[in-house]
Amino acid sequence: MTVAAPEKELKTVEKPKVFAFNALSLKDLKALSAESLWSFNEAELLAIQAHFKAQRREPRAAEVETLAQTWSEHCKHKTFTGPIRYNDGKKTRLIKNLFDETIAKATKQVAKPWCLSVFKDNAGVVAFGKKWALAYKVETHNHPCAVEPYGGAETGVGGVVRDILGVGLGAKPVLNTDIFCFAPPAYEGPLPEGTLAPLRTLRSVVAGVRDYGNRMGIPTAAGGIWFDADYRLNPLVFVGTVGVLPVWAVKKEIKPGDLIVTVGGRTGRDGLHGATFSSANLTDEAPASAVQIGHAINEKRALDALLCARDRKLYRAVTDCGAGGFSSAVGEMADGLGARVRLENAKLKASDLKPWEIWLSESQERMVLAVPPKNLKALEAVFSAEGCELSVIGEFVKSGRLVVTFKDETVVDLDLKFLHKGLPRVERTAVWDVPKPSSKGAVTKLKLAEILQRCLAHLNVCSRETIIRQYDHEVQGGTVIKPLQGVRHDGPGDACVIWPHAATGDMEDLSGFAVSHGLNPEYGKTDPYRMALACADEALRNLLCVGADVSRAAFLDNFCWASPEDPHQLGRLVRAAEGARDAAIGFGVPFISGKDSFYNQSKDVNGKDLPIPGTLLISAVAPVPDVSKALTMDIKGPGNALYLLGWTSEELCGSLYNEVCGLSGGSVPEVEVRSALDGYRAVGSAIAKGLVLSAHDLSEGGLAAALSEMCFSGEFGAAIDLDDVARSGSIYSNEALLFSESPSRVLLEVKPENEAAFLKCAKGATVKRIGETIANPILKVRGLDGLVVLEEPLSALKTAWQRTLPEAME
Amino acid sequence: MSEIKPRNGASSYQVEIKLRPDYTDAEGQGALGLLHSLGVNTAREVRASRLYELRGALTSAQVQQAARELLCDPVTQEFRMFNGHTPVLNGMNHWRIEVWLKPSVTDPVGDTVRAALEEMGLAAAESVRVGTAYHVTGKCGRNQLEKAVARSLANPVIHRFTVTEAPL
Amino acid sequence: MKSPKVLVLRAAGTNCDLETANALAHLGAKPERVHISELRSGKAKLMSYDILVIPGGFSYGDDIGAGRVFANQVRLYLKDLRQFVRLGRPVIGICNGFQVLVKAGILPLSNTCEQTAGFTFNDSGRFEARWVHLRINTQSSCLFFKGLPEMIELPVAHGEGKLVLKSPRQLEELKKNKSIAMQYVSDDGKLAGYPYNPNGSVFNIAALSNPEGNCLGLMPHPERFTSIHHHPNWTRQTFRKETVGLAMFRNAVDYCRG
Repeated sequence: MTVAAPEKELKTVEKPKVFAFNALSLKDLKALSAESLWSFNEAELLAIQAHFKAQRREPRAAEVETLAQTWSEHCKHKTFTGPIRYNDGKKTRLIKNLFDETIAKATKQVAKPWCLSVFKDNAGVVAFGKKWALAYKVETHNHPCAVEPYGGAETGVGGVVRDILGVGLGAKPVLNTDIFCFAPPAYEGPLPEGTLAPLRTLRSVVAGVRDYGNRMGIPTAAGGIWFDADYRLNPLVFVGTVGVLPVWAVKKEIKPGDLIVTVGGRTGRDGLHGATFSSANLTDEAPASAVQIGHAINEKRALDALLCARDRKLYRAVTDCGAGGFSSAVGEMADGLGARVRLENAKLKASDLKPWEIWLSESQERMVLAVPPKNLKALEAVFSAEGCELSVIGEFVKSGRLVVTFKDETVVDLDLKFLHKGLPRVERTAVWDVPKPSSKGAVTKLKLAEILQRCLAHLNVCSRETIIRQYDHEVQGGTVIKPLQGVRHDGPGDACVIWPHAATGDMEDLSGFAVSHGLNPEYGKTDPYRMALACADEALRNLLCVGADVSRAAFLDNFCWASPEDPHQLGRLVRAAEGARDAAIGFGVPFISGKDSFYNQSKDVNGKDLPIPGTLLISAVAPVPDVSKALTMDIKGPGNALYLLGWTSEELCGSLYNEVCGLSGGSVPEVEVRSALDGYRAVGSAIAKGLVLSAHDLSEGGLAAALSEMCFSGEFGAAIDLDDVARSGSIYSNEALLFSESPSRVLLEVKPENEAAFLKCAKGATVKRIGETIANPILKVRGLDGLVVLEEPLSALKTAWQRTLPEAME
Repeated sequence: MSEIKPRNGASSYQVEIKLRPDYTDAEGQGALGLLHSLGVNTAREVRASRLYELRGALTSAQVQQAARELLCDPVTQEFRMFNGHTPVLNGMNHWRIEVWLKPSVTDPVGDTVRAALEEMGLAAAESVRVGTAYHVTGKCGRNQLEKAVARSLANPVIHRFTVTEAPL
Repeated sequence: MKSPKVLVLRAAGTNCDLETANALAHLGAKPERVHISELRSGKAKLMSYDILVIPGGFSYGDDIGAGRVFANQVRLYLKDLRQFVRLGRPVIGICNGFQVLVKAGILPLSNTCEQTAGFTFNDSGRFEARWVHLRINTQSSCLFFKGLPEMIELPVAHGEGKLVLKSPRQLEELKKNKSIAMQYVSDDGKLAGYPYNPNGSVFNIAALSNPEGNCLGLMPHPERFTSIHHHPNWTRQTFRKETVGLAMFRNAVDYCRG
């Protein structure tokens, strides 16, 4: 075999340096925009034309590219911040700015003094004790993961870790999270050319998250997966990172004269057009250069050097190079000042890069710093000791302009005001189609034991151990409550608790924090408003179950939606955003950061648009004041009382019960915020007093699934009586009591000698004793008629729960 | 190891690193499972090996040294030189799949190798690219193999790959 | 000697250095996290330390083979490491550090600096993080194990942790000179297969030491069990006062204090 001659490097696209732009008709402008992969809309093209006409010159190619990046959906969140004419089924009103009127409004109204930085930096920041702060960010990396799942997942993790390195003056990452929405791995329907099989996407995304996170030395200890066939063309990959930083490092301030210094990886031709790519509908012609694989060790080098330089106070500001590369990073940092960039000083992967490519490349693992000139030498020493490259590409100036040159050539000379404030707003239309009340579902012939087994074996409930074990979830020695719990370290924890003091060095401090998630797109198919409330409620309950202080919780929102140009999709988004707002205000929990991803729809084999189910991920973080009082979900011993917090109603629409029985209809679980909150306060105080042995939240599969999980994880049985469950008067069936997904419920194990004290704490909350734990490893349920309606050995339940995913991933 | 001289005195070498036959090849077994799941049921065994392409003003002796001291583990692996003219034997029952990252894609492993070579005093390596070779034993059709590889071992978006009758 | 000086050796991709140093500092030692570039430049000198720790991580991404590049650097820039070991100073390589010690020819110790053992991918074919049961070799004179019970638990987290030897005869030699320090066992103490042996290591070997017992390499992570709250079942059980990991580090510190 002969060795092929080295393949030619990817060709540079020869772009004209200056466009004949100002004379073009709207039609020609649109054609140019489409051909150049810009994703501008009409109003934006006209605004750019008007701007340059007024300047009496044609725009340079790199200027239009810079605008395309900065004005992209990805960077500017045009849907969430633009005006929407919204019809709620009765009347039409104008929403001036959906974000301001929902998410931001809630945070403002809740007004928590411990919110140190919200929505403006690379991540949300809350106080953690007196000296420290926690930064949390969750990102999506959907489109790259659809095209190249391994590299997409890696660079997704790399990107969100850099967000944390770039928040304030830089935080140390102490936890990674990952949530995926995929089609079932066994999906065998036809897929369009270029769409990867769901099993491959699942395996490769897991491998990417694993390889990047493990190499960075950041524990991946919280997350989840949701399977629904409608994600087959547009899989969703959410990645999050929590970091710890000293309070003094929360603020950044650039001064004129500070040097623009880039650190980390070199700039190459890779990853051009990522920002605009992620806003465009996914087609089979996804630009290959937008897809990359990660270089975790380069980012680890940058992390080590950066935090050392931070503690020596060698720079005044830092941000990451994400979508848009230097153009976005420098453009953002220069806002309110001005910048002078000399691209010939950037370190390159290939010497023949064109200036516009250097300026816009999204090569991974790069950060940008603002450095006082007198600190440059010291900074160079720190970075070179870690083997991390650094280059000075310009300085910040007080000109109000972004001026970029390559040797003698001017590449960009833009008014920063126009760049950041010149984006014209386009009004969109939204319609909310009020769902028709659907009648109660039919009755199933399946036996209770069969339904329970099917629930536990369902892809959305079954054990994730085979994935979790591939993540180094204990590196940094802080994973105090692990994702896998119980006698054999394999039960499904509600949330993880991290003791982050390997990073702070304060070994005597026992404070930590917990992270959890809420997500249920199935509810949203009927009612996005209730879905949002249920997600927030579930995230909060998960925190409660591990002993976190939910009165100090903070939320993050991630909306993944189909095209906002479809009024019906946009209407559903408005409903979900309003649900998120009402949950936050009701629970008194602020949103501190968020992100959105639109256009998650593609043409299926028949050429028909397949939108994803509207998906809202709510991530939550809360302090655990004393990690030695944290809880796990496994039953601790026989003869203990089982208490159920909360009311059970017949809420089966979107439930797992409906799905495994082939039923539909009913009502979507509805959160009653006030009574939920009373319950959480009561249980929280009982947990803080050490009166609760274990706690587990009720979600998909209801009471039956939650109790099974607690029992087989702890290897003790339980006997409960459904007649003792606090319920609304309309429930008459054992099925509804066992499988209803009424929110705000938690199952608790209490020692007999603590029951009196526990009930005293729980005064005012709906807490009912429904049974007790037993030594015999069975689950025994007495029905409403007083007869035993279910008696199953735990081993059968556990086998059903454990078997699914390993088999599916084989 | 093979050598070609494309331009201005710089040479290009390929080194293949194999796991010694007495050790379990987890990567190869994984690849076999993937091929089976895509209908290539006739594949009986897959052995995976690592390929390095070193480019620069290097001598053959230097590349030998690099293979011995850096690229190949003396206990678990062996490296081989294969030149371009080995006769193809029994091609129907032995296939060789090579998967390389496209030149436009960053190659982090290649970067690590280049830096490590420099540390050994072999600063002349201009570029190092890394690939994977799969040696498939079993009677397979080329078309079927190519399709299966594009759906499992390689992603045409970032990889280029070849399926050839294997030189032994 | 009051506070032994500990060299916690780092390279790009080392990621367990901080928690390892914290545990040592907690015990009153003076750990310094030092990048190998400082040993290359001569700014730091191995011989000025009392203890050497090579912590876990993915040095240089484990790109060529786990620990390979770092091991070559150790051969180049820690030329006095064999002398350090011969002087009886404690050396511990954890996970990636163990792989480095093996590939640098320090463990199993040979007269020729030759590498005589190696690591391949776990039999399961993937990276795995789990807690394992381990049996300490009661014949071992390893100073890190003083006072520890025979059966212990520690977490492992690796993808390339299957220890292999050059020859079956070598195994007999290692047994004879008491160099097999720890083995993976089932919860009732027997040599067993996956998942008890998480990677398929020959003879279930989890750790090797030199015959003198001052140089230890192990795949499990003692620095991840330095508080009872690290144990997966701390919410269910009670524990003896000092955790296994902390006791191992304390033994090294006490040894230096004489």
